Amino acid sequence: MLDLQNVSKTVDEKPIVNQVSFSVQKGKSIGLIGPNGAGKSTIVKLISGLEKPTNGLIQLMGKDVQQWSVKKLAQHTAVLTQEGLSPYPITVFDAVLMGRYPHLGFFQREGKKDFDLVEHVLETTGLTAFKDQMLDTLSGGERQRVAIAKAMVQQPQMLLLDEPTTFLDIGHQKNILNLVKDWQRRDGLTVLMVLHDLNLAAQFCDELILMNKGKVVDIGSSEQIIAKETLEQVYHANPEIIRHPKSNIPQILL
Amino acid sequence: MKNRQSKLWIWFPIFSLILLMSMSLSVTLGAANISWQLVWQIIFSKIPGLNLFNQASWSASTETIVWDIRLPRVLLGAVVGAALALAGAIYQGVLRNPLADPFILGVSSGASFGAALVFVFGWQVFWLGQFTLPAVAFLFGFLSLLIVYFLSRVNNKVRLETIILAGVVVQSFVGACLSLVLALSNEQLQTIVFWMMGSLALTDWSYNQIIFPIILSISVISTFFIKELNMLGLGEEAAHHSGVSVQRTRFILLILASIITGAAVSVSGAIGFVGLVVPHIIRLMFGADYRVVLPLSIIGGAIFLVGADAFARTILAPREIPLGVVTAFLGAPFFGYLLRRAKRGYF
Ligand SMILES: Nc1ncnc2c1ncn2[C@@H]1O[C@H](COP(=O)(O)OP(=O)(O)OP(=O)(O)O)[C@@H](O)[C@H]1O
Ligand SMILES: [Mg+2]
Repeated sequence: MLDLQNVSKTVDEKPIVNQVSFSVQKGKSIGLIGPNGAGKSTIVKLISGLEKPTNGLIQLMGKDVQQWSVKKLAQHTAVLTQEGLSPYPITVFDAVLMGRYPHLGFFQREGKKDFDLVEHVLETTGLTAFKDQMLDTLSGGERQRVAIAKAMVQQPQMLLLDEPTTFLDIGHQKNILNLVKDWQRRDGLTVLMVLHDLNLAAQFCDELILMNKGKVVDIGSSEQIIAKETLEQVYHANPEIIRHPKSNIPQILL
Repeated sequence: MKNRQSKLWIWFPIFSLILLMSMSLSVTLGAANISWQLVWQIIFSKIPGLNLFNQASWSASTETIVWDIRLPRVLLGAVVGAALALAGAIYQGVLRNPLADPFILGVSSGASFGAALVFVFGWQVFWLGQFTLPAVAFLFGFLSLLIVYFLSRVNNKVRLETIILAGVVVQSFVGACLSLVLALSNEQLQTIVFWMMGSLALTDWSYNQIIFPIILSISVISTFFIKELNMLGLGEEAAHHSGVSVQRTRFILLILASIITGAAVSVSGAIGFVGLVVPHIIRLMFGADYRVVLPLSIIGGAIFLVGADAFARTILAPREIPLGVVTAFLGAPFFGYLLRRAKRGYF
C-alpha cells in the first residue's frame, strides 16, 4: 500500500528525516512513535504531499506520491492532525460534506448520494445531534470527531493521523481510536498514526515504528518495541513495563 | 445544508429586488424631478422591438437626463459596488484575515499612482483615447499585485503572513511615489485627490460597456470557487488534505479579485470601505458560508454603493461629496452597530 525507500528531508542543511525506509501492508495499522523532534510529523507531511522529500521515493499503491495530483491523493488518503479543523462558523453537516470534495468534478455539486453518506457517517460517529450546530461552537473533542467524520466521508484507502488525541480526555481518546479501529476492520483501511501515548500505541496498532533523530530505530510488534532497554535509549526515561491484565499487551508505567 | 441553500433562495431575490428599487429610486433623484414610472417608461422605450409607449410623453431633455446622465452613473455605481464587495469577500477568505479589503495587496495604491501620472503628464495614448486613464490605472494596480505576489514567494510557496506584509511594503512604497507626484504637481492636485477619494461623476455608457462584462464574467467564475473558499476556512492544511491545491487556488482567486478591484478602481477611483464592510455585514446577518456570502455580497455591495452615491450627489446638492467619504460615513457606524450586536465571533 505504502512504501518509503531511503526517504530523507533536509532543511537548511539539517537532516530532519534521514534515510527512512518502511512499508505498510494494506489493512494494517502502524504506530509511529518517538520523542519530540524525531521527525514523525515530517514523515506524515511527506506522505500527504504537503512537503517534498529531498531524497528517496515515497510510493502509494505503487506510484510516486509526487506524481499524484492533490485531488487524486485526497481520494485515497485522508489526514487527521492535532489541530484538526479551524473553528470556522459553518455547520457540522457542511464541514463533513467537504470530505466529498475530492470525489466531485470541478462543476459538480454534491448530490443525494453524498448527503446520504454524510448522514450515515454522522450517525456512526455519534454526531447526528450536532448536525446543524456551528463548528466554532463545538468543544475541541467534538471538533476532532467532526474531523474524523469528514475523513470517513472522504472514503480513503489510507488514513494518516498525527497525534489525533492530544487535546482529548481519556474517554474521547479511546472513542476516536475505537472509531478508527472499527473503520479499519470494516473497510480494510490502512492506518498510519503518530501517537505519543505508548500505551495507546501498543493497544491500537498492529506494528510500531520507533523513530529518533530523523532515523528509524526499530520496527516491530509492541512486544518488541515496548522494551525497557529500547525505550531507555531513545526516551532517556526508565519506565517500568507491565502487562495489561486483560489483553496481556505490554504497557508502561513512568 | 438544505436550510443554507433555502436561505439563498429567499434572500437572493429579495436583495435583487431591493437593488432594482434603489437603482430606480436613485435615477429619480437630482435637480430635475422625474418620477420612477417615467424612468421605467424611458428604459423600456429603449428596448428595440418593444413599443409599449410609442408616442413619447416626455421631452428629449428628460430622456437625456435619465438615459445618458443618471442611468449610466447609477449602473456603474452598482457594478463598482458589486465588484469591490466581491473582491473583499474573496480577499478575506483567501487571506483568512477579517481586515482584508480589496486594497490590501496594493492594487489601489498602484492604480492611484498610475492615475496620478496620467493627470500630471497629461498622457494620452492615442488609440486608447479617453480610456487612457482607466487603462493605465488598471495596469499599475495589477503590476503592484504582481510585485507583492512575487515578493512573498519563497520556495514556490506563498505564505499568508508574508503576502500581507509584502502588501504593506508595496503599499507604502507606491504611496511614497504617489505623494512625490502629488507634491510636484500644481494645478492637477485637486483633480488627483478627488479621483483618489472616488467618484462616479463623469461616467457615460462607455465605461459601463467595458467594466460590466469584466465584472459579470469574474463574478460567475468566482462562484465556481465557493467550495474551495469554504474549505480554505477550515485551515490551509485541512484544505490540502481534502484535495484542494491550496497554492494554485489561492493564486487564481487573488488574481480574479485583483482584476475586478483594478477594473473598479480604474473607473471610479479608490472607494474605500465597501469591500471591507459589505462582506462582513452579510456574514453577520447570514453566517460565514460562502455559498451565501459570495452572491449576497455581490448584490449587497451594489445596493450599498448605489445608496451611497445617491447620498453623495444629493445631500449637499449641487455640490458633490466624494463617494469614499460617504461610504465611510455610512458604513462605519452601521458596521460598529452590527459588531456590538453580534453574539459571537463570526470569522
Ligand atoms: N520547516 C522546518 N525548518 C527547520 N526545521 C524543521 C522544519 N520542520 C521541522 N523541523 C525540525 O525537524 C525536526 C522534526 O520535526 P517533526 O515535527 O517532524 O518532529 P515530531 O517527531 O513530529 O515531533 P513532536 O513529537 O514534537 O511532534 C524538529 O527538530 C524540527 O525542529
Ligand atoms: Mg509532531
